Amino acid sequence: MKGIVFTNFLEMVEQKFGYDLVDKLIEASNLPSQGIYTAVGTYAHQEIVTLVVNLSALTQISVEDLLKTFGRYMFPVLANTYSHFLKDVHSAFDLICSIENYIHVEVHKLYPDAELPHFDVHKPSAESLVLDYHSDRSMGAFALGLLEECLAFYHENASVSMHYLNESGSKVRFEIIKQ
Amino acid sequence: MSTEEELELLKKRFERERKARIQAETILEQKALELFESNQNLLKLNQSLEIQINEKISELSLSERRYRQLVGSVQDIIYKVSPDGYFTFVNSVVEQRLGYTEEEILGKHFTELVVPEYHEELIGFYLNMITNGKESTYNEFPVYTKNHQLVWIGQTVRLVDEGNNVLELVAVARDITDRKNTEEQLKNTQIRLSTLISNMQSGILVEDENRKIILINQFLCDIFGIKGNPEEMVGVDCAVSMDALKHQFQDPEEFISQVNNLLSERKMFLNETVYMADKRILERSYIPIFLDNQYMGHLWQYNDVTEKYHAQEAIRKSEEKYRGIMNNMELGLLEVDNEQTIVRAYARFCEMVGYSAEELVGKNAQNLFLPEEFVQLIEEQQSLRKIGGSSSYEVPILHKNGDIIWTLISGAPIIGEDGVVTGSIGIHYDINERKKLEQELSLAKQIAEDARQAEKQFLANMSHEIRTPLNAIIGMAHLLFDTRPTPQQMEYLEILRSSADFLHSLISDLLDMAKIEAGKIEVHHKEFDLIGLLKTIQKVFEIKISARPIDVHVMIDSKINGSYIGDDLLLNQILLNLLGNADKFTEKGSISLSVRLVADDDENALLEFKVQDTGIGISPEKLGLIFQKFKQINHQGHKQKGTGLGLAITKELVELQGGSIRATSEEGVGSAFIFMLPYKKGQNMVIEPPKGSHFMERKDFENGHILVVEDNLMNQKYISSLLNKWERQFTVVSDGKQAVEKTQAQKFDIIFMDLQMPHMDGYEATIAIRSTKSQNQHIPIVALTASAMLDQKTKAIDVGMNDFLPKPFAPNQLFEMLQKYAKDPSEKMAAIPEESTKKEEPRINRDILDHERLQEMYEGDVDYQVDMFDTFLEDVLHEFADLTPLNEQQQFMDIKRLAHKLKPTLGMVGLTTLEQKLIEIEHIALEKPDYQDLKEKIERFTHLLDEAVPTLKDELHRLKNL
Repeated sequence: MKGIVFTNFLEMVEQKFGYDLVDKLIEASNLPSQGIYTAVGTYAHQEIVTLVVNLSALTQISVEDLLKTFGRYMFPVLANTYSHFLKDVHSAFDLICSIENYIHVEVHKLYPDAELPHFDVHKPSAESLVLDYHSDRSMGAFALGLLEECLAFYHENASVSMHYLNESGSKVRFEIIKQ
Repeated sequence: MSTEEELELLKKRFERERKARIQAETILEQKALELFESNQNLLKLNQSLEIQINEKISELSLSERRYRQLVGSVQDIIYKVSPDGYFTFVNSVVEQRLGYTEEEILGKHFTELVVPEYHEELIGFYLNMITNGKESTYNEFPVYTKNHQLVWIGQTVRLVDEGNNVLELVAVARDITDRKNTEEQLKNTQIRLSTLISNMQSGILVEDENRKIILINQFLCDIFGIKGNPEEMVGVDCAVSMDALKHQFQDPEEFISQVNNLLSERKMFLNETVYMADKRILERSYIPIFLDNQYMGHLWQYNDVTEKYHAQEAIRKSEEKYRGIMNNMELGLLEVDNEQTIVRAYARFCEMVGYSAEELVGKNAQNLFLPEEFVQLIEEQQSLRKIGGSSSYEVPILHKNGDIIWTLISGAPIIGEDGVVTGSIGIHYDINERKKLEQELSLAKQIAEDARQAEKQFLANMSHEIRTPLNAIIGMAHLLFDTRPTPQQMEYLEILRSSADFLHSLISDLLDMAKIEAGKIEVHHKEFDLIGLLKTIQKVFEIKISARPIDVHVMIDSKINGSYIGDDLLLNQILLNLLGNADKFTEKGSISLSVRLVADDDENALLEFKVQDTGIGISPEKLGLIFQKFKQINHQGHKQKGTGLGLAITKELVELQGGSIRATSEEGVGSAFIFMLPYKKGQNMVIEPPKGSHFMERKDFENGHILVVEDNLMNQKYISSLLNKWERQFTVVSDGKQAVEKTQAQKFDIIFMDLQMPHMDGYEATIAIRSTKSQNQHIPIVALTASAMLDQKTKAIDVGMNDFLPKPFAPNQLFEMLQKYAKDPSEKMAAIPEESTKKEEPRINRDILDHERLQEMYEGDVDYQVDMFDTFLEDVLHEFADLTPLNEQQQFMDIKRLAHKLKPTLGMVGLTTLEQKLIEIEHIALEKPDYQDLKEKIERFTHLLDEAVPTLKDELHRLKNL
């Protein structure tokens, strides 16, 4: 997993809970990387899972909520860092529709070793979107946070509902309906 | 948290941050290295890419060019239509093919281009294609181009679908108009051919190689009486049906065997004659059909030629017959082509020329047979033949042994089937014997004709020769009348005169005929007074027959007036001949002359003259002979006189003037001679009226001109000398005929007319002058004759003469007459009584000799001079007499020669004046010969010469006595 995820995750934890929790989390997690991350590096996926699970244990906040919050935190960062992806996108739906066929394609060009989730987008009507998330990482909640923040970013008044399509959480369906 | 703890935490954090930084630096360093390597690689890649790109670009441009060429050369229209038939794509070829641009086509429904009659079919076709999901189809149909030309399209259409959904149709369409037209033509040709065969007036049967019928037409069925539709016969085995039909043939087995024979030989066999049991004659042709040397079957053709066969048979028989006739007729036939090469020589011809047919064929007929001098003739015939003309001509041909054989060739062109002359056929008839005979005959004829010509010439010469002494006899007889004969002598003279006259007329007839035959009579057209001429004739004729109980009538059509242009002398002669003829055969009753205008227009008139008598007539069988020469019709009991030439001459004279003559007659009742002559109408001859109506006023004329008509030379001289002395103008002529002519031509004041003259006597001349419109019609005429005959005087007054002067008369008697009728206004002749004395002195005339010249010439040599004068008078003088006859014969060159020869002799005897006159005559004869002019000049010359002779004689006499 890309280093930017880890650095931002620890920044978010520091922001919300202070660096001592960051230290506790790192000490408690016994990570191969010892919690030393740089945005340009790449680290094992298992470390974020460990961090999130340990943070949940430390803070008594559910993993799901943590991931969702992290998603919301992450969107502006990504939007800022990769603003050129958003240059010609003027609505949330457009952005969502372009994830699979455009953004992920571009990401692969930058980071050939990146492991990205797979999205299938359906547009049953002009007012709604159906987004099927499929990833062995089972980070559907992170995606939900990103989606919510995306709608907010474009000032789109829409609701997002999330349904697990399997127990492992590797397949998740989001339904976005404009209000 | 304690500060210590905080510090510890910060340390830990710092440591982590530091490690993270180092880690990042390492990564970045690594990345930078990677980047550098990548960059290097990229640079390399870039370079090879550039090379590759350049290579690719050049490959691309090459393939683009190829592609363009390919596209450009695509001749097919490629288009797409939507399932509901609207054009969605079309290539540019469409514009070239159909005239529509791509923009014009797109959006159109494809049926908009299709010829309306094909809409329904085409829509059905493609609906079916779509419904049944056929992947690809091919169809042909016509469309209209933008400018409404019909173009046939053949197109392959392919369905483009997805699942069960037809997305579009892709078509490749080709212009197949040419092929379609060719197919159409082929189809038409096939239809035509099969229609032709079906309707051919010839039985046609086509079998395949197994003798199954492929095609049979109605005509064949009809020939063999096969019932049913010809189409039903297709497929029938002929080997079987042949057996069923064989009994229709005269020899069934022969038919079968011949057919089998033909089938096994497989060789074309045309127009074989086949005899049927029912006597019909058929013509059969067998034509095997091969395709690429592969036997495909054969065609039978049967024609009913029964009629043709019989006709040919008839021709063949008649040909045989005529060949037989020809062979027996001894006509040699020879066929040649256009180059005269012998194509065929028949037996009789070969026999004629001594060659065999083999020797002749292929040779040039002209070179072989034709003597050189006849080449031209044959070439003319040949060119005639080429334009299809036939002709007969005689030509000598060479026998093999070199003999000449005369043949009569009847040549005719041989015309080929295409109408072009391919040669000619000559039918040669041996006329050698005839030709020999002909040549002998022609020789004999030539001899005879030469003899006749010589005879004619002799006759003409003799006539002329006879006439000269005869004229002397007649002249002398007339002169004797003037010698106061006793009644006894008068009677003898009368007989002498009439016999001489008759002899003269005979000779004249002969001469006339000779002239006519020699074509020497010319018709002189001049204006004349017809009525005057007729009246003259009437009066003359009345006088001639006054003693006999015959009435003379002249009837002139009232429509005839004015003058006509023609030869009045010839008319006069014709009428006198006919009237004389009538007179000869009429004892009593009447002789009438009538003239009728038959037809006329503004310029021309056709006149009919009729001389009718109540004489003895002519029998019908002899009527046809009367105009022939020397045919005298012998009338019993009628004494014959004449040459028998009169009517022949008359006929010739009529015809010479473009007229015609015929005679009708009834024996014992009379005859009529009718002739017609065409004349031009004259201008009504303006005759100057005499300035005074009475002759006494004639003295007013200043140029008083006297005409002396006298045949007696002595009298002529006598009168001439008197008139010369009185300085009066005068003209002398020696007979009545000349007198009449003179009065027509020239104005006179008085005529002194002898009564007894040859040709035309004074009475006749007077009548003619009085009857004919002319300036001299009312001129005073004084008769000169022997005074003893009182009846002559009466007769003279009767015919219109004014006075009478008895011969011989004294000068004063003549002078009185002149005074009485034509007084000279100048009154120069006062001293007449002295005249007679002056006449006694011939010496005065010595002055006419050029003494000066004579002196110069002879210089006193008297003997020489005597010799010359003697010679002139004895040997030369008579030669001058030839001038007049030469002029009569219009031998002007001879006149010139004679004059040239004689003129020095005149100088030798001192007749310088006459020499000058002769020189003048010579000049005229040479430069501008004119008969009349010369005649006058010669007369004048002769006259002067005659007058000079006594002087010469006197001079000779004088010289001798010196």
